[in-house]
Amino acid sequence: MAQVEVNLSALFTELNKHGQNGDYDRAIKVTNKILKAAPGDKKAFHCKVICLIQQSDFRQALKVLQDNSNLSSELTFEKAYCQYRLNAVRDALSTIRDTINPDIKLKELEGQVLYRLEEYEDCLDVYRDVIKNTSDDYEEERHTNLSAVTAALQIWGDKNVDDY
Amino acid sequence: FPPNFQPIPCKPLFFDIAFNHVEFPSLEDKVEQKKAAGGGLTGFVKGWLWGGKK
Repeated sequence: MAQVEVNLSALFTELNKHGQNGDYDRAIKVTNKILKAAPGDKKAFHCKVICLIQQSDFRQALKVLQDNSNLSSELTFEKAYCQYRLNAVRDALSTIRDTINPDIKLKELEGQVLYRLEEYEDCLDVYRDVIKNTSDDYEEERHTNLSAVTAALQIWGDKNVDDY
Repeated sequence: FPPNFQPIPCKPLFFDIAFNHVEFPSLEDKVEQKKAAGGGLTGFVKGWLWGGKK
């Protein structure tokens, strides 16, 4: 038993290293090893899903999320992101809206989903909220997206939007 | 013919910022077990040395 504990923390150390290096190919193999020894490990499972998304294997990522509902209940952002990238934009929106107390990651994604759905007014509200409540390295990108929404509203929404 | 050119709006730039949130969860607690054990052992040895000095 003690042997297994030691092995697991060594595996997690290895996983952490590969994750930091962006070596998702190696990282996913480690997650598989961990999940073989500890099938209920939510963190290892989470890392596995992240690896699949990083490798642009959204179909497989969504599949493992759906096949392991016991491990994936908290991974709504990852699920919605896969649906978004697989162009199942309506599904992505329901995934996001079914989440109680969505965090800022989900709101960010909701903005992108609404843009894709051409629901620009709701999208604008989401972006205003997200911009108000974030401070990270992506402020400029967020403002670029906001401009795109504003432009879309002006062109297709038949609506004047104030500059701010 | 040929028909006249007509201006159309260009597709604005739109970033996928959400992708930046696709990252590993913190594995601190999982990795730490090893460190904690090491700290515990060092603490034990230190305690023993201190004890010896007294």
